[in-house]
Amino acid sequence: MNKTLTAASLALALGAALTVAAAPVAAADEKMAMEKEHCYGVALKGKNDCKAGAGTSCAGTSKVDYQGNAWTAVPTGSCEKTVSKTSPTGYGQLKEFKAKMAG
Amino acid sequence: MSDQQVFAGALLAAEPSCPPGLTAWNGSDPGRRFAIYRNNVVVSLIDALADTYPVTQELVGEEFFRAMARLFIQANPPRSRMLAFYGDRLADFIEGFPPAAAVSYLADVARLEMLRVSAYHAADAVPLTPAEIAPLLEDEAALPTARIGLHPSLKVLFSRHAVVSLWAAHQTTDVTRALAAVDSDVAEVALVLRVGLDVEISRIAAGAAVFITGLEQGIAFGRAAEQALAADDAFDLAATLGLLIRGGAITTMIIPRSATS
Repeated sequence: MNKTLTAASLALALGAALTVAAAPVAAADEKMAMEKEHCYGVALKGKNDCKAGAGTSCAGTSKVDYQGNAWTAVPTGSCEKTVSKTSPTGYGQLKEFKAKMAG
Repeated sequence: MSDQQVFAGALLAAEPSCPPGLTAWNGSDPGRRFAIYRNNVVVSLIDALADTYPVTQELVGEEFFRAMARLFIQANPPRSRMLAFYGDRLADFIEGFPPAAAVSYLADVARLEMLRVSAYHAADAVPLTPAEIAPLLEDEAALPTARIGLHPSLKVLFSRHAVVSLWAAHQTTDVTRALAAVDSDVAEVALVLRVGLDVEISRIAAGAAVFITGLEQGIAFGRAAEQALAADDAFDLAATLGLLIRGGAITTMIIPRSATS
């Protein structure tokens, strides 16, 4: 099926969009003004920091113990609370990983 | 292999080892000191991924995520000095990672999160105001040939899963309750757009997605609208244009000179 749109219908849609968009322009201008204060240094937090902070053994061992096979442990995430039609439980599953990994 | 390559390889290797020839200034065990450095490198990269992929981590839990991240890092060492974009291939890794296979939507949620970071760092562009767009209506006959340029931060993500709803549920205070209302098997299209300094994610209809993707590819206004209508009977051109104009997503709109004659 080949549908065509006339120039008039494009103009009509654009005109309607402009009418709808006219109201929040003031807010957009404010945001533009804010943009002038861009501070790139505050982008995504802590990317270059040593998370453990000064005075601690930054390397430490606090997180070194995560094993490569940690998915065999019971997950604490929200996956199992997420509805899934294809799952036998009706929710996302991670438990079967244990069986998979052992096999 | 150069000393540098040996050193770098030992930093990310699965099994801890100390590169040969290391000495410490005070005679302490270089192996132990190297292990501290090694751990710092890996943990900082895992933390960087956790910062970029908070919802992905919440979906599978911190322990699972960090273990997966460690394997990803071993296979995908940083190629850029910029940590912000590190892990842009994590979604692909997740797709080929058997333990995550049961969470079919995980890779797409990760894709969406990386698009958010990309949008955040995308170049600035001044959007056209409605007053600047309005004069184009005067030459109605040429309007179908108009080329519409979109904001550099704008991205469209097609998913077979409810990627927007899943992500949005994790932005609420009661995630469990919000997730209960989400059917993860419903296909969704995400529109990622930075408005001012805020990256906004919205769910858009299939037709709108086809239209916007067409514009991104440089297809003319009229043709892009026709493709959208062909793909989706319910395509609402006015609403889609309204969404783009309100979000400041239209940065250029030009009618080619040859078409106006």
